[in-house]
Amino acid sequence: MERQRKLMVAILSMLALIAVIAVVDIGLKIEKKTSSEMKIQIPEFGPGVGILRVEGPIEMSGNTGQFGIPNGAESIVSALGEMEKDSSIKAVVVRINSPGGTVAATQEIYQKLWKLRKKNIVLVASMGDVAASGGYYVASACNYIVANYGTITGSIGVIAFSPNLKRLFDRFGIQMNVIKSGKYKDILATHRDMTAAERSLLQEMIDLSYHKFVKDVALGRNMNQDEIIPVADGRVMNGESALKYRLIDQLGTFEDAVLKAKELAHLDPDAPVYEKQVTPFQQLFGSLKSLLSERYLPGTGHFYNPHRIEYRYIQ
Amino acid sequence: MKLETLKSLRWADYFIYTLSDPREFVRRARQKDPDPFFISFLIPCIVVLFDILAFSAAGRETGFFYYKISYGWIMLFIIALFKIGIYSSLVDLTAQFFGLKGNVREIIVVLNFSMFPGIFFLPLYYLSSVTGFAPGFFYVFFSIVFFIWSLLIFIQGVSEIHSIDFGKSFVMVVLPGIAAVLLIFLVFILFFIMLAGYAA
Repeated sequence: MERQRKLMVAILSMLALIAVIAVVDIGLKIEKKTSSEMKIQIPEFGPGVGILRVEGPIEMSGNTGQFGIPNGAESIVSALGEMEKDSSIKAVVVRINSPGGTVAATQEIYQKLWKLRKKNIVLVASMGDVAASGGYYVASACNYIVANYGTITGSIGVIAFSPNLKRLFDRFGIQMNVIKSGKYKDILATHRDMTAAERSLLQEMIDLSYHKFVKDVALGRNMNQDEIIPVADGRVMNGESALKYRLIDQLGTFEDAVLKAKELAHLDPDAPVYEKQVTPFQQLFGSLKSLLSERYLPGTGHFYNPHRIEYRYIQ
Repeated sequence: MKLETLKSLRWADYFIYTLSDPREFVRRARQKDPDPFFISFLIPCIVVLFDILAFSAAGRETGFFYYKISYGWIMLFIIALFKIGIYSSLVDLTAQFFGLKGNVREIIVVLNFSMFPGIFFLPLYYLSSVTGFAPGFFYVFFSIVFFIWSLLIFIQGVSEIHSIDFGKSFVMVVLPGIAAVLLIFLVFILFFIMLAGYAA
C-alpha cells in the first residue's frame, strides 16, 4: 500500500510538472508572437502572402521525426496544398535554405509549385545561405527568384556516390557472400569495385535526371536549354554570378522577396504575411532529432546513403 | 498533526481508490482518516486550471492567457464550486425524494473526487497538440472519455453512500442533471423571447 501511495504522489508530481511545462510553452509562444518583426499594425486577415520554408536536405519524409518541425517533401507539398485552397493567399514566398536532396522529393515540390503557378498564385523564391542543386530546382518553379549576394546557388547537376571499401576489406581479410538474382542487384556495393557495365547504367540514369533538371529549369526560367547548359556543369556560384547568368532575377533579402511578392500579386505593402507557427517544443525536438539522427556519419556532416541519386550540392 | 498526516501519505489513498475502486473510496472517506472534505476541493481547483491550460493550448495564444490563468482560474473555480454545490444538493434532494437519508457533505466529497480523472486530460491532449496529431479530435475524444469516467465514479460512489444498486444510483445522478439542463434551456428560451419582445 505504501508503494502505491508513493506511486500516486509521483503521478501527481508529474502532473504538476506537466502543468508548469504547459504554462511555459504557452508563455513562450505568446512571447514569440509579440516580439515578431511583423507588428500588429498589419491586419491579421484578408489577402496576403504565405511563407513556405524549404530547409535542410530535401527528402520525402524529413529527418525531424514525429515531434519535430515537419520538413520533408510530403509536408511541404501538404503545406502548399493548404495555401492553394486558402483564398487569402495571393502569393507565396518560398524561403529556400537547402543544398538539395533526392530527385523524387525535389520533383514533388517542383510539380506542386507549378500547380500553384498555373493557378496564377504568384511564387517568389527567396534564397538563404544555400539554395543549390535541388534547392535551385525548387526555386526555378517560381515566377521570380531573389537571392543574397553571398547565397550559394547553382550546382545544376545530379550525383550518386558510394564509398569503395574493397581495399579496406582486403586489408582486414573481410569477404562478403552475395547471392543475387540479377547482375545489377548489388550495384553501388561498397565491398567491390564498380564494373564498367554498372557505371554505364548509372551514368544513363544520371544523364536522364540531369536532362530533366535542365529542361525544368529552362521551363521555369523562360529560357532556352542552350542558355542554361553552359552553366549547368555542376558549378556553384554566388548570387551575383547567378544574376549574371539569369538564373535569378534580383539580389535582395527575404524582406525584399516578400515586398516583391506583394507587388507582383497587386497587394498593399502592409498586406498580412501568413506563416505556420511552430511550438518551442517542436523546435527543440526537431533540432535534437536531427542532431541525433542515425543517418549522419558523426563528424563528417555528410549524408550517407549509397542507393540514391540526388540533386545535391556536396559541401 | 497535519504535517504528520501529510507525511504519512494516507491522503493518497483517496486518489488511488477514486480511480481503482470508488466504493472502497467511499468506505475510506467515511473513516475520515484524514477528513477528505477540504482535500476534495483541491481537485476541482486543479481540474479548472488544467482545463484552462488545455483550452489555451488548443486555441490562439494571446496576452489574455495571463489573465486566464490568474483571474480566469479564480472565476472558473468559483463557478465550479457553485455548480458542485447546486448539483450535489439536487442529487441529495433526489435521494431524499426516493426515501433515502440525505447526506450532502458525503456527496460533495464524492463529486469532487469523481472529477479526478479530468486531471489527466491535459497531458494526454498536450501530447497530441505538440505532435500535431489530430488535436481537435483528441480534445473532443478525451473530453468525452473523462466525462464518462467521472460520471461512473460518481454513480458508484452514490451507490455506495446509500447502499443502493447501480441502476437506481444512475437514475438519482442523471435525473437532476437532466432537470437542470431542461430548466436552463427553458430559462434561455424565456430570455430569448423577452429579448425579442423588447427589440420589437
